[in-house]
Amino acid sequence: MKHIEKGVSLRHAPRDFLRDLNADNASTGLVAGILGLGVGVVHISAGTSAGLDPSFIMIWVISYLMINGLFGLFMPAYYRLPLPMANSIPGALMFAAVIPVIGLEAALGASFIAGAITLVAGVTGIMGIVMRLIPMPIVMGMVGGMLLSFGLNMVKPLESAIVPASIMILAFFISSRLFRKIPPLIISMVAGLVYLTVTGVDLSGIDATIRFPEFIMPAFTLEAFLTYGLPLAIILIGMETPAGVGLIKGMGYKDAPANAITAVGGLGTMVSSFFNLHSTCIAAPMTGVCASPEAGAPDKRWVAAVIAGAIFVIAAPFYGYVVSLLEATPRYFIAIIAGLALMRVITSSMAIAFSGRKHEIGALFAFLIAASGIQILGIGATFWALVLGVVVSAIVETKDFDVIFTRGSADLSP
Amino acid sequence: MQFHKQLQKDLSIPAITAGFVAVLISYSGPLAIFFQAAQSAEISSAMMTSWVWAISIGAAISGIFLSLWLKVPVVTAWSAPGTALLVTLFPGLTLNEAVGAYLTAAVIIFLIGVTGTFDRIIRMIPPGIASAMMAGILFQFGVGVFVSLESVPALAIGMIIAYLLFKRLTPRYSLVLLLIAGITLAVLLEGASLEGVALQLAEPQLIRPEWSWNATLSLAIPLVLVSLTGQFLPGMAILRASGYSTPARPIVIVASATSFFTAFFGGITTVIAAITAAICTSKEAHEDPAKRYVAGVANGVFYLFGAIFAGTIVALFTSLPGEFVAVLAGLALLGAISSNISAFAAEKSHLEASVITFIATASGISFLGLGSAFWGVVVGALAYNLLHRRFNSLNHKT
Repeated sequence: MKHIEKGVSLRHAPRDFLRDLNADNASTGLVAGILGLGVGVVHISAGTSAGLDPSFIMIWVISYLMINGLFGLFMPAYYRLPLPMANSIPGALMFAAVIPVIGLEAALGASFIAGAITLVAGVTGIMGIVMRLIPMPIVMGMVGGMLLSFGLNMVKPLESAIVPASIMILAFFISSRLFRKIPPLIISMVAGLVYLTVTGVDLSGIDATIRFPEFIMPAFTLEAFLTYGLPLAIILIGMETPAGVGLIKGMGYKDAPANAITAVGGLGTMVSSFFNLHSTCIAAPMTGVCASPEAGAPDKRWVAAVIAGAIFVIAAPFYGYVVSLLEATPRYFIAIIAGLALMRVITSSMAIAFSGRKHEIGALFAFLIAASGIQILGIGATFWALVLGVVVSAIVETKDFDVIFTRGSADLSP
Repeated sequence: MQFHKQLQKDLSIPAITAGFVAVLISYSGPLAIFFQAAQSAEISSAMMTSWVWAISIGAAISGIFLSLWLKVPVVTAWSAPGTALLVTLFPGLTLNEAVGAYLTAAVIIFLIGVTGTFDRIIRMIPPGIASAMMAGILFQFGVGVFVSLESVPALAIGMIIAYLLFKRLTPRYSLVLLLIAGITLAVLLEGASLEGVALQLAEPQLIRPEWSWNATLSLAIPLVLVSLTGQFLPGMAILRASGYSTPARPIVIVASATSFFTAFFGGITTVIAAITAAICTSKEAHEDPAKRYVAGVANGVFYLFGAIFAGTIVALFTSLPGEFVAVLAGLALLGAISSNISAFAAEKSHLEASVITFIATASGISFLGLGSAFWGVVVGALAYNLLHRRFNSLNHKT
């Protein structure tokens, strides 16, 4: 276990939480939580289109919030870093697609093994080494490209819903300029909600149901492992974790515990497989929100991640209610809030990726590939962005690597 | 002639290739929209050939003249957003009315150019915002390369590998080698057939203009707006971002004067090019910025060929698969995308406004009939004033 990084401690976490709580991290935590709740809708649509039983889909989403939320309380509280946990969206799409083919128990068994592989990658310290070898401009190019879609989705409502969209965006920028005391995200949200109430949003179709995660015994088959377990392991190790770790490093947390994030994700995924859930891992977009400058003082941003985790756990049993609430608010509302929350993260990712004059072409490839959202062999764009970014950079910008290697080994020697 | 000798000395294969690729991209991409307009106008293929002749000859004459005169790679073309306008107006509008509107538009743009109004607007745009807008316009082309990875993996991977190898081995000739490799791959892998291509001379057809209020309001005025915001604005921004401080005035004047004559043959407004210009003004064209004007001249010369053999050119470019063009355009523009992103990422003083400009432009939104390049600048300028400008008057009062 020597590769697992030491955190601060859980002993004084509740007291420190109250000490470090402020308007900035509370509001970004709220936004990250809402963003994560919104992701549940992706599960529902993926599950529905795969023809899964609605009752199972609801159990799946509830487990997602409850289990990911519990890990999401622990990670930031222990490391005092903005490390929100959620699950892998490409993993969720694959999971929904393979259940009708290989069966639920076998799919969960494959998840269990993928989790075990991920755990090994973290415990043996492989992840930390990989993260040190991939040049920062390429990682940040990938992060910027991945998050860019949130920026684009923020702007697109200007076409269809110009009035509320410009009210919310202007409220954010004007208030960030005029009064720093109240978080601009809150002002933007309030402005949007005021608009919605004035124009009359329909909240009548909301019904409340309460359900909890259910235990299930996974089964193990080779077929399930090859079609779904192995790709999931690659997604968790090659895509989700590097995105989260790269992001957090890019936001200035140089000692991000890469191995621990991987190992906990692996362990979480193993636990998940007993509760109808396909994975647990660091959530890059939510990390972006919690670690952004909007969350205030850097050493207090961990509070935002804890809040996001708490929102997950509390909302889990009532998710049926949350879904109807989400469906009642227009889609642009969450899109704009998420885009605004990630604005400065996109800005600094692009600045780190493109203003260093090193690995420019590699960073550009990583950026464009991640932004293209392509999927090859069932694995998403961010993985290919890293792989091709490094390969391209190695071919065209070999010189830039020499510096990294010599500097890297100099750091390791003492 | 000294002029002639100078040009001979500055001539280089990369610059000529850049000019050629720029023409290739214009013909294979934006020309498709013009075809669509021709379809909705229900015109004959002879008339279509005349249209292509007119826009090509306009681009050729103005481009060669401006590049030689200003010693700057000025790439001209037809107004791409203008052709998009046409698609929606035909067949309600007659061909004669359209030509009348082209003439009106040319006169208005000429007047705006002569008075120097346009230069004043251009100068007000902060440098980071201009680069960001440019990067935003080009962004889709870059992403297009990788989207093609899903639809035509073999062709896309082959071309990407070719691009990287040529860039590493012979950066000066990477574009021309990529072009050859790409066409070879397209024929081998995608079964593109060049058989239907035969040489034939184009015959321009004269169209009698007819002026009407309807055409002025629905075509001429919007055409002026979209040409200035969608072409001249980004086109000048590219020249600025590439380090050329040429004023807009002579370019606007020459382009609009050319438009006036080509209008009679069905040619829509001639403007400074935006996307293809980036190829000719970037390092791909020549290491030395002072010698990139050759790319502008070459671009014009290839347009001249395009005009003479309008029918042939049209047949040639419609026979290559669309994905080939997408990948070629994207790879040819990678350098321009990279330099524009680096340029705004380095302008730390108004970085956030630049990123907002980039995002707004890349989103491709269109509102009130104006494209995202225009809205990108508007949103960016707004963000610049909101976020980065010091409110001097406020500070003095407090």
